Amino acid sequence: MITATNPIFSCYEHDQAHYDEVFNAKGEIKKMYETLFELYCGHSIEDYILLNNKAKSSFFNQGITFQVYGEKETKEKIFPFDLFPRIIGAEEWDHIEKGALQRSKALNLFLWDIYHDKKILKQGIVPVDLIGSSANYLQAMIGVDPPGGVYNHVSGTDIIKHSDGEYYVLEDNIRCPSGVSYVVCNRTALKRALFGVFNHYRAHTVTNYAENLLEILQSVKPRGVDIPTCVVITPGMYNSAYYEHSYLAKAMGVELVEGRDLYVENDFVYMKTINGPKKVDVIYRRVDDLFIDPLEFRADSSLGVPGLFSAYRKGNVCLANAPGTGVADDKAVYTYMPEIIKYYLDEEPILNNVHTYHCSRPEELKYVLEHISELVVKPVDESGGYGISIGNKLSKQEIAEVREQIKKEPRKYIAQPIMSLSVHPTYIDESQSFEQRHVDLRTFTLLGHNEEFVLKGGLSRVALQKGNLVVNSSQGGGSKDTWVLKDKQ
Amino acid sequence: MALDYTVTYSAENHYENLVKDAIWQFLIIPEDNDNQRVTDVQFNNSLDAPVSYSENSKGFRTIRVTPVKPFNDISFTANFRLVKDEMNPFDFVPPEDPGKDYLTLDSLEFRVDHDSYLRPTSYTTVPGSAELTFQWDNEKDIFTNIQALNSWVYEYLKFTPGITTVETTLQDVLGHRKGVCQDFTHLFLALVRKHKVPARYVSGYLHQGSGYFGDSQMHAWAEVYIPRVGWIGFDPTNNLLVGSDHIKVAHGRDYSECSPLTGVLYTLGENRTSHAVGVACQ
Repeated sequence: MITATNPIFSCYEHDQAHYDEVFNAKGEIKKMYETLFELYCGHSIEDYILLNNKAKSSFFNQGITFQVYGEKETKEKIFPFDLFPRIIGAEEWDHIEKGALQRSKALNLFLWDIYHDKKILKQGIVPVDLIGSSANYLQAMIGVDPPGGVYNHVSGTDIIKHSDGEYYVLEDNIRCPSGVSYVVCNRTALKRALFGVFNHYRAHTVTNYAENLLEILQSVKPRGVDIPTCVVITPGMYNSAYYEHSYLAKAMGVELVEGRDLYVENDFVYMKTINGPKKVDVIYRRVDDLFIDPLEFRADSSLGVPGLFSAYRKGNVCLANAPGTGVADDKAVYTYMPEIIKYYLDEEPILNNVHTYHCSRPEELKYVLEHISELVVKPVDESGGYGISIGNKLSKQEIAEVREQIKKEPRKYIAQPIMSLSVHPTYIDESQSFEQRHVDLRTFTLLGHNEEFVLKGGLSRVALQKGNLVVNSSQGGGSKDTWVLKDKQ
Repeated sequence: MALDYTVTYSAENHYENLVKDAIWQFLIIPEDNDNQRVTDVQFNNSLDAPVSYSENSKGFRTIRVTPVKPFNDISFTANFRLVKDEMNPFDFVPPEDPGKDYLTLDSLEFRVDHDSYLRPTSYTTVPGSAELTFQWDNEKDIFTNIQALNSWVYEYLKFTPGITTVETTLQDVLGHRKGVCQDFTHLFLALVRKHKVPARYVSGYLHQGSGYFGDSQMHAWAEVYIPRVGWIGFDPTNNLLVGSDHIKVAHGRDYSECSPLTGVLYTLGENRTSHAVGVACQ
């Protein structure tokens, strides 16, 4: 039996209040981590610091950086990376994968329905007001048939492990979910730093993401196209996820373009190349809905392509993800996911949903206003962790402020019980030791025409500040390589 | 009897600085529908820039112009010929029991089907503080009420060109009670929707032979969905039911979805634009 006495974990404080993924309640290492633990314990903390610094500078030198919006000075930051990986067993992963796929499929059918027959609204299962009043419900998409019938080609599902040991989905991201490039980079970085550890575990590869994404994109080619030309469109190098856009284009072997590189003629899309115009059939777009076409949406957008939407509407080009998907990853729609899954698939949800209180419902509003200190209050239409308040972290005055905000616009807010995210030993610079930090998991699911793929792995995001539950990179989170094991134990 | 119409639309743009990159989209071609058929479309621009045709998100035809050379001035002229059937707007049977139709308005199926045209938009939101005297009479059928509302809007606002712009909100319009066809239409739409009846904005041309308001620009009116009847046109600017003098181009939730001209230009400095519309009936 190995216990946490070796130097590298010597200062690890095991707080019983959290669900630790590596150590059990008695402070013993869990079986799955035994080999890994032994290997890491072979290093001194000094060795580890050296490796860690090398990994950091390698990220920076490769330009794997992102920007945080809203700070006084915007500067490039590396996404802090932790060298101690997270392991997910084969059986557990099976459950996650099935659940993520189920959600993506249900969301796709939901999107088709609310932009066509609206059956789920007519039957009153999802309130029509919730959809009709959503800023992300695109009127222009009503009646449009996306090629292959696919809306959410790429879904990022944010999942946590609660203190009961069960997985819960916190959020579905089906607009332009980002983060997959970090999954690949984390794996590369860990391989570079600690190659030996991979010899002891059979983990699934994650570097096959790009080839699968390309296959999915090719499967939704417009009718009549034999071999489609695919491109990745980016808002440009000032976008926080530019690195990812360029990585994906390069890894798929397709062009990375900006709006000004494309034009539309007679409802077909062309790319300007040195050999003249080249028709474009599938666009993996990382530009937000309202910016893709200044003639149809925001006229002040210089990121889009004038006329792109009419070409899409005609079925001459495929956009992935489809415009208008944002209506379904709205935090208010999230709360109807169990019903949505049952309605379209006639199945029970595989992954749990967190119980949600709708401030738009008078009774639930009353409960929320009385229990703010026990709840997480979120605006329904912000992403990236902005505007979230966590009840037990608020002062009396802050609680009063949140209460006023909710009262002003109840429709804008939902509240959920405070989920206690599991913790994972994470190296902390300040203390030069491993400490418990909360982690979540973003999985990546791809849907194409009669094709599907779930990346076996994902982005485990770590909240680097002690006790912090918000793991978004824009809010100062880091990440870990995530291994999905091949063999069942 | 069928009527032959000719519509001419012209626009002139002058830019203080040379424009190198631009694209315009016009939503000005009359719609082909049950009572009007377009027989000819002519479109020219002073720069001989390439012209292409497409459709907007509701399927209405658009014209796009993409100049290839830098310019300071550009003008556009369009000529449309169409044939319109003479129509009687009262050509339907009034309901025996108006109550049934109100039940339809309340049904979930109906509300879902017409959701887009039941919801206020930024142009069709009546400020909470507004005190409007229009009284809806539930004893009477929907059509009769809408007709009364049409007259009410016509009486309530004074037709005054130049006082409002395409960005004017109802709040301002209700303040001075003046405006043009857009403002009349937006107020009308807001009130119809408030009474749970679907209504949409229509842009088009008005044949002014009979001395109606609508000046020499494009005109705007509304279509209202009456259960069991369908979409009926109301012109609150002229207190009229829409008839053969109204040539429809497009509809949408409000002006923003029917704007006749959308331009994407990369230029600094002042610009001047003027439009003119003429409608003749042979």
